[in-house]
Amino acid sequence: MSAFSPEQWQEISPYLDHALSLSEQERAEWLSDFRAQRSDIANLVEELLEEQRALSQEHFLEGHAQQPLNEDALIGETLGAYKLVSRIGQGGMGNVWLAKRVDGRFERQVAVKFLHFALASQGAAERFRREGRILGQLRDPHIAELVDAGVTPRGEPYLVLEYVQGHHIDEYCDKQKLGVDARIELFLDVLGAVAHAHASLVVHRDIKPSNVLVSGEGEVKLLDFGIAKLLVDDTSPAAATLTLEGGGVMTPLFAAPEQVTGGAVTTATDVYGLGLLLYLLLTGQHPAGTDPHSPADLIKAITDTEPRLPSEAIALEDGQGLAQARGTTPEKLRRQLRGDLDTILSKALKKNPAERYGSVVAMANDLGRYLKHEPISAHPDTIGYRAAKFVRRHRAGVALTAVALIAVIAGLSGTLMQSRNARRQRDAAIRERDRANRIRDFMTGMFKVSDPNEKAAKEVTARQILDKASGDINTGLAKDPELQAQMMHVMGNVYTNLGLYDRAQSLLELAIEVNRAARGPGDPETLSTMDSLGGALVQLGRYSQAEKLQREALEGQRRALGPEHPDTLVTMGDLAGTLAMEGHLEEAEKLGRETLEKQRRVLGAENHHTIVSMDTLAVILGEERRFAESEQLEGEAIDLERRVYGPDHFGVLMAMANQADTLYLMGKYSEAKQLLQQTLDIQRRVFDPNHPETARSLYNLGCLAARDSKRDEAFSLLGQAIDHLSPRSVPKVDNDPDLNSLHGDPRFAKLVARAKQRVVSDARCPL
Amino acid sequence: MGSEPSLVALMEAADCGSKPAADALFSALYVELRRLAKHELARRGAPVSLSATTLLHQAYIEIAGREGASFPDRNRFMGYAARVMRGLIIDHARSRCAQKRGGQFEITALSTEAENAPDCRELTRISDALDQLAKAEPSLAEVVDLKFFCGFSFAEIAAMKDVCERTIQRDWEKARIYLHRSIRPDLEM
Repeated sequence: MSAFSPEQWQEISPYLDHALSLSEQERAEWLSDFRAQRSDIANLVEELLEEQRALSQEHFLEGHAQQPLNEDALIGETLGAYKLVSRIGQGGMGNVWLAKRVDGRFERQVAVKFLHFALASQGAAERFRREGRILGQLRDPHIAELVDAGVTPRGEPYLVLEYVQGHHIDEYCDKQKLGVDARIELFLDVLGAVAHAHASLVVHRDIKPSNVLVSGEGEVKLLDFGIAKLLVDDTSPAAATLTLEGGGVMTPLFAAPEQVTGGAVTTATDVYGLGLLLYLLLTGQHPAGTDPHSPADLIKAITDTEPRLPSEAIALEDGQGLAQARGTTPEKLRRQLRGDLDTILSKALKKNPAERYGSVVAMANDLGRYLKHEPISAHPDTIGYRAAKFVRRHRAGVALTAVALIAVIAGLSGTLMQSRNARRQRDAAIRERDRANRIRDFMTGMFKVSDPNEKAAKEVTARQILDKASGDINTGLAKDPELQAQMMHVMGNVYTNLGLYDRAQSLLELAIEVNRAARGPGDPETLSTMDSLGGALVQLGRYSQAEKLQREALEGQRRALGPEHPDTLVTMGDLAGTLAMEGHLEEAEKLGRETLEKQRRVLGAENHHTIVSMDTLAVILGEERRFAESEQLEGEAIDLERRVYGPDHFGVLMAMANQADTLYLMGKYSEAKQLLQQTLDIQRRVFDPNHPETARSLYNLGCLAARDSKRDEAFSLLGQAIDHLSPRSVPKVDNDPDLNSLHGDPRFAKLVARAKQRVVSDARCPL
Repeated sequence: MGSEPSLVALMEAADCGSKPAADALFSALYVELRRLAKHELARRGAPVSLSATTLLHQAYIEIAGREGASFPDRNRFMGYAARVMRGLIIDHARSRCAQKRGGQFEITALSTEAENAPDCRELTRISDALDQLAKAEPSLAEVVDLKFFCGFSFAEIAAMKDVCERTIQRDWEKARIYLHRSIRPDLEM
């Protein structure tokens, strides 16, 4: 069907008017009503409305017809050494021409940019040339070179620039469907170029997608570096910024707040511009949103409104399309942006220049850290943030500590429900609900507490989280002593795992005290806490104290829970280990075997506690010099635990170290050394460097080196170990038969002195 | 000005449906706008390209001043002048096409604006269709002249015609439907 006849148009015109003034839904209703009266017109109107929708989508006639004026007269005109070839574009600041060098010195194509303003005086023309020459000294592979700056005989300033072909960076990224990381990597080239310019004291002032081109080969080029400054009238910088475009009011879409308000333009202005560009690349939209803005609204948004977080911004838009152009799904894109990228962009886009990144390099560093999954520097300094990052980088190590802690705490509210009698169940249910809330609040606080002192710390450790939490526990949970004590118990155990035995001890002692008061001395939780304290005391070398506690706990548990209750069995196994340390091997072995047998039956062969008991029994057998049996059992324990809990698990490392001891005692030195080295590698990866278990491996490797008369190596290893050995191991150093070959060496005397120093200081600060 | 009829008189006659008056008005405005553009170019120094908006405003101010108190409303002037602007642009586009065919130079588009600009053949078709639309519903054609050829925004056009912006938007949508129907067979060729 072709054009309308005037009559036809006259007939449908009023109906179109009506339909176009209705909402989508009203339209559908009106059409269906109208179809009953005039189906022919209704159908045509519907068809036309469909067409209109399509026309809107393809932006039919929404551009502008060509300018009518005949500037082609310039073709062939010569400016200095350059002959104008053709007009290649109309930029915001003026027309751009392709030109050729014609003075015969060398072939070169350049772009000549005429600027849309006349220079008022001879002085202004001089200044323009001078500034142009300064900009011309800026050389960077990612910056389009400014070849020359001049003024035409008619007084119009122009710039001769390196001719760059490419797409605007945002279009390029979308066309190539670059993902978030690839976009950031490309953007890092932009940052590098800007950083270089800043080092030469040149500020770009007008960073926006159309000034950052990417060639077909993926090379970034920045255009118009510092050129905005050439246009700034010294008397009124703000006015100049807003009126750059051909004398009309420029929509300051890419202006920084200080450019709009007339503040000082510094390198921080570029940081803002770069933040804006990255925001655009990652979210596909301007921080002020996608609605059309009047210049007044936009200025208000730039100066007053905090930009939406990028991760939130994408939710408001056509997420599917945005995600597709980034080779991902909306949900994944949101997750990628949430967190570090939100933070980095928020910092770059601060209204106050002083709150932005101090330099482009700092911003680049953070983006680099983001790409490597390292903690970034920009952040509201909450411990929770660092903890999240720590977990990601050191999965294994944290799995033993912070995450284990969380898991255990999270599990608490459930287990508390047990052993309540029916009469109190309803009340208890209400209490437990409140308690679950308190646990949640406490955990949230633990990872969110803002600590100004943390600012300088490079990285947060699980220990810092724990220290923070154990500090809060006295105040945060004082209203619920039962819960408070239970949390102390959990954290005390984590301290033990971290090798911080003294802290474990003090926290567990406190937990027992609170538990005794709140629950009673015979309560299972109180008893279990006593066993845990025994475990920490063993590491501190206080065996008899540990034994006493564990025996008391075991007796209480047998009475309160029964002889085969899991808690009872755990204490039994622990007591067996303590007895072995004291040299009561016969009783230890008997108790160890009984425990293992019962745990296998009650908990199953692959339960963690069962495997720990295998390890304990193997150690006891080793002490009894029944090496073959010990090696066999320990080997089984290691295999099982690796399979069930993974190769980096705390229990696996303990068992490996114990196995190495046994191999050493058997005289299988090279096997022992190999296993120790293997253990040490994992320990270094998953533990804090000062962990006593790591020190133990170093010490034992030192003994092996001493045995081989490799004195230097031995002293080096022992030296690394000595300050961090667990207190129970320290007294051994002095007359360790394995170190006999080192006696007489002055370095050995020093080592012993350091060990003795440890004993003294440990005794002085029992905590 | 001499014995030539004033622009005001021509407009009034054209409004009453006088074909000769309309033609005379068209060529008078054409000459006027060309003269203004040339003058402007000389003043600023080439190759600054003028926006059609600026040019129309300037033409109005000059002509209104010259015609004195008798000059009718700005709105009507803009309507006529916009149609003339369209003519200028079409002429210009045609001459450009001729140059292109002559192989003198090839435009390498850098800015998206230039990429989206319709070519001269399409412009001519749009212009022809607009002439038809001006007969069927003149106000719609005027909106297209002002928006597409002169670059006025909806808000500016609404202010000029003293109607609300939504009306202009609706007129624009209607006009697009009409024009697209008219030139579609050509586009599909």
